[in-house]
Amino acid sequence: MKKIATALAVLALVLTGCGRPADNPSAAPQASSTIAAGPATGELTVWAMGAEGENLPNLLKDFEAANPDVKVTVTAIPWSAAHDKFTTAITAQKTPDLAMIGTTWMGEFAGLGALDPTPSSIDKNAFFPGAWGTTEVNGTSYGIPWYVETRLVYYRTDLAEKAGITTPPTDWDGLKAMAKAMQDKAGAKWGINLQPGGTGSWQTVMPFAWSNGAQLNNGDAWTFDTPQMSEAVKYYQSFFTEGISNKAPAANETAEPSFVDGSQPMFISGPWMMSAVEKVGGKGFADKYSVMAMPTRQTSASFVGGSNFGVFKNSQNKDAAWKLVQWLAQPEVQVKWYQLSTDLPSVSSAWQDPALASDTKLATFGTQLQTAVAPPSFATWEQVAARFDAEIEKVTKTGADVDASLKTVQSEAQSIGTGS
Amino acid sequence: MSTPTLAAPVGQRPTLSPEVRARSGRGHPGEGRAAWILAIPFTVLFAAFTVWPVVQSLFMSFTDTRQRDLRTPFSVNFIGVDNYVRALTDPVFVKAAANTAYFVLVGVPLTLAVALLAAVALDKGITRLRSVYRLGFYTPVITSIVAVAVVWRFILQPESGLLNTVLGWFGVQGPNWLGDPAWSMPSLIMMAVWRNFGTGMIIFLAGLQSVPYSLQEAAAIDGANGWQRFWNITFPLLRPTLLFVSVTTAVGYLQFFEEPFVMTSGGPLNSTISLSMYTYNQFGYGNYGLAAAMSYLIFVVIAVVTALQFRLLRENT
Amino acid sequence: MLGSRNPYGRALVHVVVTVALLVVIAPFIWMVLGSFKGEGEIRRVPPTWWPEAASLDNYTQLFARLDFGTYFTNSVIVALVVTAGNLLFCSMLGYALALLRFPGKRALLAVVLGTLMIPGVVTFVPLFVIVANAGLIDSLPGLFLPFLVTPFGVFLMRQFISGLPPDLLDAGRVDGAGELGIFARIILPLCGPALATLGILTFLGSWNNFLWPLVVAQTESHYTLPVALALYSTGQNNTQYGLLLAGACVVVLPLLVVFLIFQRHFVEGIATTGIK
Repeated sequence: MKKIATALAVLALVLTGCGRPADNPSAAPQASSTIAAGPATGELTVWAMGAEGENLPNLLKDFEAANPDVKVTVTAIPWSAAHDKFTTAITAQKTPDLAMIGTTWMGEFAGLGALDPTPSSIDKNAFFPGAWGTTEVNGTSYGIPWYVETRLVYYRTDLAEKAGITTPPTDWDGLKAMAKAMQDKAGAKWGINLQPGGTGSWQTVMPFAWSNGAQLNNGDAWTFDTPQMSEAVKYYQSFFTEGISNKAPAANETAEPSFVDGSQPMFISGPWMMSAVEKVGGKGFADKYSVMAMPTRQTSASFVGGSNFGVFKNSQNKDAAWKLVQWLAQPEVQVKWYQLSTDLPSVSSAWQDPALASDTKLATFGTQLQTAVAPPSFATWEQVAARFDAEIEKVTKTGADVDASLKTVQSEAQSIGTGS
Repeated sequence: MSTPTLAAPVGQRPTLSPEVRARSGRGHPGEGRAAWILAIPFTVLFAAFTVWPVVQSLFMSFTDTRQRDLRTPFSVNFIGVDNYVRALTDPVFVKAAANTAYFVLVGVPLTLAVALLAAVALDKGITRLRSVYRLGFYTPVITSIVAVAVVWRFILQPESGLLNTVLGWFGVQGPNWLGDPAWSMPSLIMMAVWRNFGTGMIIFLAGLQSVPYSLQEAAAIDGANGWQRFWNITFPLLRPTLLFVSVTTAVGYLQFFEEPFVMTSGGPLNSTISLSMYTYNQFGYGNYGLAAAMSYLIFVVIAVVTALQFRLLRENT
Repeated sequence: MLGSRNPYGRALVHVVVTVALLVVIAPFIWMVLGSFKGEGEIRRVPPTWWPEAASLDNYTQLFARLDFGTYFTNSVIVALVVTAGNLLFCSMLGYALALLRFPGKRALLAVVLGTLMIPGVVTFVPLFVIVANAGLIDSLPGLFLPFLVTPFGVFLMRQFISGLPPDLLDAGRVDGAGELGIFARIILPLCGPALATLGILTFLGSWNNFLWPLVVAQTESHYTLPVALALYSTGQNNTQYGLLLAGACVVVLPLLVVFLIFQRHFVEGIATTGIK
């Protein structure tokens, strides 16, 4: 009995000691520094994911040559569970000097106070505006966009010809008509392969919404239930209700097999799919398909993804770290990185290099990047996006009412908040 | 605690109920000290690595802790059972609970049945190359889930997957296994049974092999046929084994995570999201207090189900 | 076999079980065959069985990029230490909980069983913070220390040792052996089969462990095999299936070997763990 009383007393004491301090308004944009002149010195630890992590040391050889007193160690980490690795490292204060950071993680990491603001010495106008937007959290930029990707409509040129399409469509009606024609005249089972909701489907749906002038937020408030958003989602839904897209694909199916065999001769995806379809399609397949920009409504907008490069607040060598980041943003280095990894440069001037300008498919990506947009860098974006994906799934698979679903998303998003 | 049941394994061994062991009524000198010396490694490691995380996470479940608060664990608001209420009234959590219940109620008996069947078949039916069969049936247990997922995704493809092709030979039109909300859970159950029956089979095999031959012989002489012998002699002696496999399988299945995570990401339409996966997602969003509350709700369910199984499958000697 | 089973019945059983075996290992076979295929062929629908142009490309690529020696050594060291630790410490506590009388025994047993039922995900991050504060990040001890004793192992050993005749202790005491001497010289030698069982299960768990080594290692020199393989096969938007399947075969091979070597003891072991 005595033991229980003591335990409860201790517990009470502990609980009275709890409580949040009065909220300090740290949401104001932070003043940024400038990068000192001179070469980089000291040691740097860098984390990078997947194939980029493997390739980065090759690129960094040039940096080390230009800055002989600096030593850079790259640790490659797998993409799967990379987010967990970062968050646990931040919690335990065991972060590297700088790292490659997924664009949708910026809001979360900045919100945890883990990142260092970008120095003003780095010119934001060198980058694609949508890409730069992914580095901004609450008005402050943390890091730079390193490489980007955006989404285009892939289509089979040979089957399009069969379907009687000679010029790629540029508006919503044209896109739907082309998909339908693929089914009617080119023997396709489904005109276009669209994701019917589920994880990550927002990356395919939002381009239509953005093209229609919809926004995800207005300052601190989410704005899901606007007429522009509704129109766009209804358009997306119509592909499924009219039988142009498959409502029930097998889970986690990839697009290449059906693209190559012609059963789904159109899909929307990013630049990495080019090598994927060519691997499955074999020799000569590269001539049988092409890519086109997202159809224009008010504008032609697409999703911009990729990865950023950021410096951690805990770093002991911020000066050298930012110098490395600045070096990565130089157009020549961006082109060299493209040649090493096929990752697309985030710096717009790098696209004028012949290596990129000569490839017509790539050039289309470059043009789309100028008008590509990313969701706001709120820490709660992933959670809100999951709700959005779930409602889109209902809308596409069960034909649920679009306006009601968007209202649900809006109220759930508002209750989750923006985390700022 | 139902521990006395475990302390008294069945068989031709003397029972070890506490009363029997209190031979001298007090225990031998030095016994207590020796026991605590033997317990030191566990206690030290437990105190270092388990106590604080459990206490901290339990504490977090009663506060509004978010990820950024982990470095200042006490600068959070105490909100009582709010997190628990939120979890229980969250429709997705409830759906996840229903999915988990479906998975366990169908999956556990199915896994046990297949494991027992395989064990009986290997014990009685196969004499040569038994180790090959044993290894073969155990292979799914040791293969990495990621590779398993790749393979099973191809098997379950609606158009040309292996399963539907084979069903087609019998004139049956196979469904869209992973894409249809009605068939997604059965698909995962199939996969889980395939993956896990090997462990149960190995344990049952050993249990079967220790049934005394003499008992079987006597029964056969008395005129009992194979089925009667199995039901009246073998099965009762297998009961403790059944309990162990059932409990460990249920504890594992109640926390099933990998199958939906890798195969379906919880879809389609939340038909395969499990409690563990939903909790993991909440940790991912940084909602630590809520996620901790969910974890402890899962713990309560596991404890209750385990206790139930002990009650149902206990030896009644 | 008891009674006269007609030879047709036995043949039928053989056929059925063999078919079942083929069905069960079919996915595994597909995985192995797939590791010799090119990326395009693996993704093809309908899937193929035999590789069209079998090649060792996936393996050569994997071994060229993978610092196999380091990762394999790390995995082996961690798995062996964890297994050894569990074999020793779990049997120690298992013995105490099974046969000795001491104050606090019921509480300790409750703690062990309770820990078994707590979902691991909830203690993951606090555990990492503790390990980080102890300075064990990016070190091999950080990889194995938290797992040197598991409640499951204690439970298993306790079951087995409960099944041993308690007269052994009396005999030992009469002979003048100290309490710890009884454990070391009388009880432990009899635990062979149970130890083999625990050994295999612990080794399997440690070998395939992915999340903890990923999070604890800060430099690639401390990666274990599953982490390294995920590095080379999973991408941001796409997966390299060929490398993934080859990697899975590489990872599973030592486990098959361990299982084959120990399965004789393994099967005997379960028979006498007192759970029968």
